[in-house]
Parts: sequence; structure tokens; C-alpha cells
Amino acid sequence: MPPRLHIGRFTTLLAGGGLLLSACGGLGASATPAPEPDELLVLEWSGYEAEDFWTDFKAANPETDVAFEFGDTDAAILAQMQGGSEADVFHFYTGWQQFYVDAGLVKEIDTSQLTNWDKVPEEYKALGQIDGKQYFIPWDWGFTSILYNTEEVPEVTSWDALFNEEYAGHVSMWNDGPGAVAVSAYVNGWDETAITDEQLAQIEEDWKAQKDLNAFYWSGEYTDLCPAVMDGTVWVAYAWQGCYATALYEGLPVAYADPEEGRNSWVGLYGISADSDSPQLALEFLDMKLAELTCGNAVTLFYYGCANADVMAAIEDPILIEAFGVNDPDILETTNFTPPVTEEQRSAWTSMWERVQAD
Amino acid sequence: MLGRRGTLPFLVGPPLLWLTLAFLLPVVLIGAFSFRPESGPVDIGGPGGFSVAQYGEVLGTPAFLRLLGISVLMAMAIAGLATTLAYPVAYFLAFRAGRRATLFLTLLLIPFAVSYLLRVMAWKLMLGPEGTINSLLAFVGLTDEPLDLLLYSRAAVIVTLVYVWIPFAALPIYAAMQRIERSHLEAAADLGAGPWARFLRVTLPLSLPGALAAFFMVFIPTVGEYVTPTLVGGTEGIMYGNIIQGFFTRSANWPQGSALAMVMLVITLALVVVAVRLIDLRRLAT
Repeated sequence: MPPRLHIGRFTTLLAGGGLLLSACGGLGASATPAPEPDELLVLEWSGYEAEDFWTDFKAANPETDVAFEFGDTDAAILAQMQGGSEADVFHFYTGWQQFYVDAGLVKEIDTSQLTNWDKVPEEYKALGQIDGKQYFIPWDWGFTSILYNTEEVPEVTSWDALFNEEYAGHVSMWNDGPGAVAVSAYVNGWDETAITDEQLAQIEEDWKAQKDLNAFYWSGEYTDLCPAVMDGTVWVAYAWQGCYATALYEGLPVAYADPEEGRNSWVGLYGISADSDSPQLALEFLDMKLAELTCGNAVTLFYYGCANADVMAAIEDPILIEAFGVNDPDILETTNFTPPVTEEQRSAWTSMWERVQAD
Repeated sequence: MLGRRGTLPFLVGPPLLWLTLAFLLPVVLIGAFSFRPESGPVDIGGPGGFSVAQYGEVLGTPAFLRLLGISVLMAMAIAGLATTLAYPVAYFLAFRAGRRATLFLTLLLIPFAVSYLLRVMAWKLMLGPEGTINSLLAFVGLTDEPLDLLLYSRAAVIVTLVYVWIPFAALPIYAAMQRIERSHLEAAADLGAGPWARFLRVTLPLSLPGALAAFFMVFIPTVGEYVTPTLVGGTEGIMYGNIIQGFFTRSANWPQGSALAMVMLVITLALVVVAVRLIDLRRLAT
């Protein structure tokens, strides 16, 4: 898809003003760059607009007007950007990088201007690179695995616990097609980047058979899943470590599996819109996202990992150490990092999931 | 002074313009999206394309059609129950409340002051394993363990939506009952009709147009419901509207979502047209 012509309000004003001054014989051929507007629009996930998650930027730029618009899925975030969102900065998760680059929606980032860039591990930096160019800044990260109630369920050693009929009515799967395909790929030992049509048909049948085991498919970790884990409705769930940490803080008898197929891991990435009117301010916003206080808040308030390695190394809370597997040196070796998907895969997998739900 | 013809454009113009922009245009857009070949967000300014593939996919997927059928039946049950339960409320307001009718009508409308989402969430809390109903059942010794079937079920969706719709359903019935001439009831009484006979032969037939309006007012939006099933329905209570929502959000497949929405629109309108043809309102009201 070709990049869209995007004329922001400020640009329109500048263009109009420039024409007026030119008509009056002023301005001439001045090459002075136009000043950026002191405002930012961030396309975010609900909850991330809290000032705790951009507190360093707020402290450095108290007068800047930071506004937020929201998407509730990666698909919705991409659709909004493709639909001409005026957001300067957008937030999405691993697997979707290539779409933004292919559609010309994202600006390459000059990392030499980032003061906190040296605190980001190389593995995370690489997730934001395409064709050797740094398009995205990694920020939040975490695991996906099986969260289970240890009083109701014996030790979970495989992702196939989600398909165990003994837990009928007390299972909860994430409401997401690519997530379902990943779990099936782990269980069946398939390469999730090369799922064939026959394998996808098998995946669809497996999840249709699994559907009645769920109490519900969850969409929001803290709004749907955690309350149901707390009140005992859900015993076995596809879950992120944030809910696990929350349950531990509440003193619940829960564990977070280390499946033999390996956990999954995801990373949140920020990009700067190719049409941003405030690219410099956007860059500063992302740099400040990586700063100590802001990153620390992601860890201590949301129980999400952050790409600032210094912040992660400074964790002392035993519950957070457990949730992030900080003391397990082998955990990353067995972790499956979410791979990029193609447009064809995304379309086929999400449509498959809608058919599962309708069944 | 403007004549009748002169005032008509001023009276009809603004609502017509509003309906065109806020209702008709979106429906036309959804209809246009449903004939696009792509499987992602529609680029309105981009190159076009015409395809009936989206309809082929919808009509060729039995699970979608089966779920639409279930959703229509659920909507009928919800509309029927809400109308039935709203009827005595409207009767009380019209014939028994007297001078306090305005007060009771206001009380009836009080739930609207609370967000729809909050009212549904309240039901989630009441139906939950530690909720009001399970706690009460355990307190009186009827159950040892919380009943799982209360929440995350089709029944939970029906119960919650019936609750949500009762005040709405009562309004058109109340309006119809208010229009009933009291002299008709007096004449029936003079001719020897008892209370039940007066109700069955006079009040009920004359209020049926309001009851039918209430039924359709509940039925039509309920077929496409997705918020309540999401909150209290679980995997069992998923409705057709959830799939439409999924294609627009999780899948970002607007053309497929649009085709699903258009199929639902056509089926719902067809059912309403058939029902209106079968039920002769004028005969009922005479």
C-alpha cells in the first residue's frame, strides 16, 4: 500500500501562512525549518496513557500537550494507522513490524539521539530492525505461558493443559487467532512460521473441540482474566506474567508453567509515524520511555518487563524476580519469541479463529 | 407567516439530514465495503474493486449461519420475555398509578442514569461464583459449591439483556395504553364484562400494537448484540455480533465483517417484514 499524503493541521496552517507571506513579498527562499508543534498524539493500548508510563517525558516537557487515542488489538492499531491516524507515535507488539514498514507508515529512528539506547540489550534492539534499519524502539516485554491454580491442577508441563477435559469450564484462552496458532504449533511440534493449510485445518478442529472447556476467551489481562483467576472461576489459562504476579501478590495458590515446549515471549514496540508533524518530540518521548523511572513504573505497577536492562537488573522484589524468571539463567534458551507473520498468515489465522468462536 | 408547506422543510430537514449522515451513509459504506475483495482495512481513497467473495465466505461457512440462527432465537426469547415482563409495569403506570404515574415513570427510567456497561457489569458480579445469587444459595443451604452455570452461559446473556430492556419495552406499551379511551372500558363494564373480560376484550387488543412495537424495539438491536455476551456469556454465550466485532477489530478484516453485518441486516429486516405482514395490527386494534 502506498504511503498516504497526510497534511496535518499545523502543516496546513504553515502552508496557508507561507502562501500569504509570499503573496505579500515576504519570506523569500528561507530554508529555516518550521518549528514543531508542542503536542504529541500517541496511539496506545488502554491503560498505558497513565502518566506513570511517560513520567520522565512529562517532567522534562511539562508544557507539552500529550494526547492519546486507543486501539485494543494489534490489528486495530494497524488498521488505525492505515486508516490515516494522525498519531505521532504508535505502540504494537512483535509479529507486526513488517506491515508498518511495507505500508510506509513508520519513520526510521536515529538512535544516536537516544540517551537511553545503550541500556537496551542487543536482542531487543534487533527486534525493531528491518533490513538493517532501526524502525522501532522496544519497550515492554513479557512471557506467555500457562497460569494455573495449584490446588486444582497438578504440575503443568505442557501447553496441552489448555486442552485437558478434566478442567472443563475452568480454562481460559486468549481471544486471539495468532496466539491459538502458536500454542498449537508448540503442542504439535510444528514450525509456527510455516503452518500449512492442512495444519491450519487441524488447528481449527482442535480449537473447536477445545471451545467448551473455556469459561470464556479473555481479551483484557487485568479486566477479564485476573478477576476470574482470583475468584476461582479459572484454573488453567493462557496468561502473561502480569496476571501471575498479581495473583502472587494476592497470596493465591498459583504457578506459572515452564512447558517442555518452552514459554512464549512478546515485546512491545514503538514507532514514529512517517507523517508525524513532531518527529523530534516523538523521538524524545520514546527516549524518555526508556528512562529509569518510566521503565521502573512498567515493572512495578504493571508487572511488565521493560527494555532498560539496568531497571530489570535492579529488581529485588522476590515476586517480580519469580514472575520474570530473573533467577533462571536457562529460561530464555527455551523461550519461543513471537515471530513476524505475513499478511496471508494474519488473515488466515484470524479468520480461522472467528470460525472457531462461531462454532 | 409560513404556510404548512413552508414549515415542512424546516421540520423534516434537520432530522432527515442527521439520519442521512449518521445512519444511511454508514449503512451504505458498510454495504460498499462488503463487496471489496481485500481482507484487511478498507482504503477508502485507494483503488477500488468489486467482489462477492465475502458473501461466498459468509454463506459458505455453516458456523456463521448457525450462530446467526441462534442469535435470532435468543433475540426472540429476550424480546418476548422483556415485553411480557414490561406489560404489567406499563399496565400499572397507565391504569393504576393515577397521579403518581409520572413519579413511577421517572423511577422506571432511573436505571438509564447508570451506564449500560456498569449495569451489565453489576450482573456479572451478581452471577459470579462469589456473587449475590451464589452467596444467597449457599447461605440458605441450597448449595455447597457455587453454581457454574449462572455466569458465562447463554442463560446469563438472556437474563441480563431482559433486565436491560424491560424499561425500554414498557414505554411503547404504556403509550399505547394511554391512548385507550376509558369510555370503552366503561361501556364494556356497562354491558356486563368483568375485569378479566374487559382486559382480554378491550385493553389487550388495543395495547397490542404497543406490545409489538416493544418486541421489535428489543428484537432488532439484540440480534447484533456483542457487549453483553462478551461480559457475561463466555464461550457458550457468543452471539453473531461478536463475530462481526471480531472481524472489525481482532482481524481488521472490514470487508468480511461488513458482509456478515449486511447478511444480518437483511435477515433481520426480512423477519420484521414477514412478522408485520402476518400480524394485522389494524385488525388487532379494532
